[in-house]
Amino acid sequence: MTDILNTLAGWGVNVAIAFTALRTNLMRSILTTLGVMIGVFSVILAVAVGNGAQVSVTQQIATLGSNMAIVVPEPERPNGPPRPGDRGRLTERDGEAIARQVPGVLAVAPQLRTSVQLVTGGRSANTQAVGSTEAFASISNLGTSDGRFLTKSDIGSAARVVVIGQTVADKLFVDGNPVGEKVRINRVPFTVIGLLESKGSNLGNDNDDQIVVPITTLRQRLSTATTQGPDDVTLLFVGFEDEETLVAGDREIKDLLRARYRVSKGKITPFTVRTTKEIAETSGQVTQIFQAVLVAIASISLLVGGIGIMNIMLVSVTERTREIGLRMALGAKRSDIRNQFLVEAAVLCIIGGAIGLLLAMVAAAIFQQVADFPAPIGLDTALMAIAFSAVIGLVFGGYPAIRASRLSPIEALRSE
Amino acid sequence: MTAPVLETQDLIKNYVIGGEMVHAVNGVSLRIDQGEFVAIMGASGSGKSTFMNMIGCLDVPTSGTLKLDGIDTRTLNSDELAEIRNRKIGFVFQQFNLLARTSALDNVAVPLIYAGVRPAERRERARARLDAMGLGNRLLNTPAKLSGGQQQRVAIARALVTNPLILLADEPTGALDTQTSLDIMGIFQKLNDEGITLVVVTHEPDIAEYAARRIVFRDGKVIEDAAVTSRRRAEVA
Repeated sequence: MTDILNTLAGWGVNVAIAFTALRTNLMRSILTTLGVMIGVFSVILAVAVGNGAQVSVTQQIATLGSNMAIVVPEPERPNGPPRPGDRGRLTERDGEAIARQVPGVLAVAPQLRTSVQLVTGGRSANTQAVGSTEAFASISNLGTSDGRFLTKSDIGSAARVVVIGQTVADKLFVDGNPVGEKVRINRVPFTVIGLLESKGSNLGNDNDDQIVVPITTLRQRLSTATTQGPDDVTLLFVGFEDEETLVAGDREIKDLLRARYRVSKGKITPFTVRTTKEIAETSGQVTQIFQAVLVAIASISLLVGGIGIMNIMLVSVTERTREIGLRMALGAKRSDIRNQFLVEAAVLCIIGGAIGLLLAMVAAAIFQQVADFPAPIGLDTALMAIAFSAVIGLVFGGYPAIRASRLSPIEALRSE
Repeated sequence: MTAPVLETQDLIKNYVIGGEMVHAVNGVSLRIDQGEFVAIMGASGSGKSTFMNMIGCLDVPTSGTLKLDGIDTRTLNSDELAEIRNRKIGFVFQQFNLLARTSALDNVAVPLIYAGVRPAERRERARARLDAMGLGNRLLNTPAKLSGGQQQRVAIARALVTNPLILLADEPTGALDTQTSLDIMGIFQKLNDEGITLVVVTHEPDIAEYAARRIVFRDGKVIEDAAVTSRRRAEVA
C-alpha cells in the first residue's frame, strides 16, 4: 500500500517537474502541443463524420421501405457485374404469383423503367420514368407532398397521369404549383397529379430525379425497350410484413421463380433477390470503409504531431543535460530520469489531445447546425482520444527519455 | 581507531582523448576516516577532479579498488550506484547547480524525492536543513533571488539532507568572493566539528588551510599527504 502511494507520489513529482519545464518554454510547448492538438482534432472529427455517415445511411435505407425485397431478372453472379446477355425475363404474372404464394407478402409492385424527356412551356428535363402500380407507394414509403399518388383506376385505364419528383419539378416549373399542369412526356400529353415527397440523395444518387406513371400507360405509350412479352417488367418490389418473413421470403421467391421457369437443379438462378436488409448491410460496410479511410488520412497529421513531440523532447533533453547530471548526482536512478521525460511528453500530448477533443466537439456541433449532418462524438470516442494522445506521448517521448536516462552522470554534469 | 569511510587501492583511471591515452589517475591508494576534513589540492589536470568523481560514484575507475563505507563500489550496477550517491554522499559544486525557477525548499528536497521520502516529510526535513544554514527566511526564494553565498548554503543544505556519510565539495568557493569563501569554510569547519566527514577539492592554498589534512595531486599521483600544520579557523558570522 505504501509502495503504491510512494509510486503515485513519485509520478506526482514528475508531473510537477513537467509543468515547470513546460512553463519555462511556454511558446515552444504551445507550438508542440498544437501538432498533437490538430492531429487529435482531425482523427476525432473523422470518426464523428464516419459515425454520422453511418447514421444517415441507416436513415436513407429506412426511406427505401423497411422490409422490402427487389427482384431483378439477372442471374446471381457473385463475381463481377452482370453481362448484357444475362438478362432474363420477369413478368407481372410472376409478381402476382409471389403475392399469392410467398408467405408474409403484403404487396408486390412491378416496375418498368425507361428514360424519357419531359417538355412543358419551353422547358425540358430528361429523367427516369418508373411505370408502376398504386402498391409502389406503400411498399417503398413513397408519399406525395402535394396532389395524389396513382390509384388502381389510373392503372386500369392506363391514364395519362404522372407524379413527378422534386428535382424534375424544379426544372420544369420554376414558379407555381405543378399539380394540375400539363406536360408532354416523349410528346405524349400527361397531367401532373402529384409531387413526390423529397427523399434527398444517397451516395450520389438523386432520389428526387424521377417520375412515376401507371405501368400500363408506360408500356403502351412510352416504352422504347424491346421486351420479350406483353407483361414483362424491369423489376419487382415485394413488400413484407416483417423482417422475419423478409429473410425467409428471399429463399421462397427464388424457389418459386425457379419452379415457374423450370430451372433445373444445379443451374444458375436467373433471378437476383436483394432485400433491404442486405442493402443496409452492404451500405454499412461501405460507410465503414469510408470511415477507415478518413481516419487513416487524419492519423497522418497525428503522426506528424507525434514526430514534433519527439523532436522537441530531444531538444529538451539536450538543453537539460546538466540538470540530468545533477539529478543523477543527487541519487536519481536511470528509471527516474526516464519517467521524468516520459511524463513530460505525456503531459504535452494529453493537454493537446484534450484541446483537440474540445475543438472537434465544437466543430461537430457547428457541422450539425450548419450542414444538418450528424457527427456524434460519444464518451468512448472522447476517452479514446485522451488515452490515444497519452500513448502518442509515451511512444514518441520514449526514445528521447531513454536517451536521457542512458547519459553518464559525470559527462552530463560537465556539459554546458 | 575510527572506521574508514573511504579506502582506495591502486586506483587508476585512463581516458582516451584524441586517440591518445591519458592516465588521469595513476595508482592512488589512500584512506579517509570518519570525521576527517581533507583538502585535495593540485593544478588543473593533476587528476584531483577525476579522483573526486570516482569517490563520488559519478565516474567508474579503470582498475583498482574503491571502498565506500566498506562496500566495493566496483561491483555495483547503475541503480545501486545511484542509491549510494543518494544515501551516502552529499555533493557541493563550484557552480552551486541549483534548479532554476525552483524554490530553495524544493531544491533541498530533491534528493529526498529519489530516496522515496513522502512529501510532508520532505518539506519538513528540507526546512530544518535550511534553518540550520540560516536561510529559514528564504525558503521560497528561487536561486535568482539569492546571493552566491546563499545559493551555496542552499546547496550545502541539499547535500546534507539525506544525512550522508561524506560530503564532497568540488571547488566550493571557486565562484565566491573572499569573505563569502571564508563563510563557507567556516560552515564546513562547524559541520566537521559536529562529526561530518568532508573532502574539499581546491586549487587555492589558503582555502586548503582550513582543512585538517592536505593531499596534493600531480600527474595522477599523490605527491603529498600530511596534516595541515598552521590550521586556520574561520569564525561563523
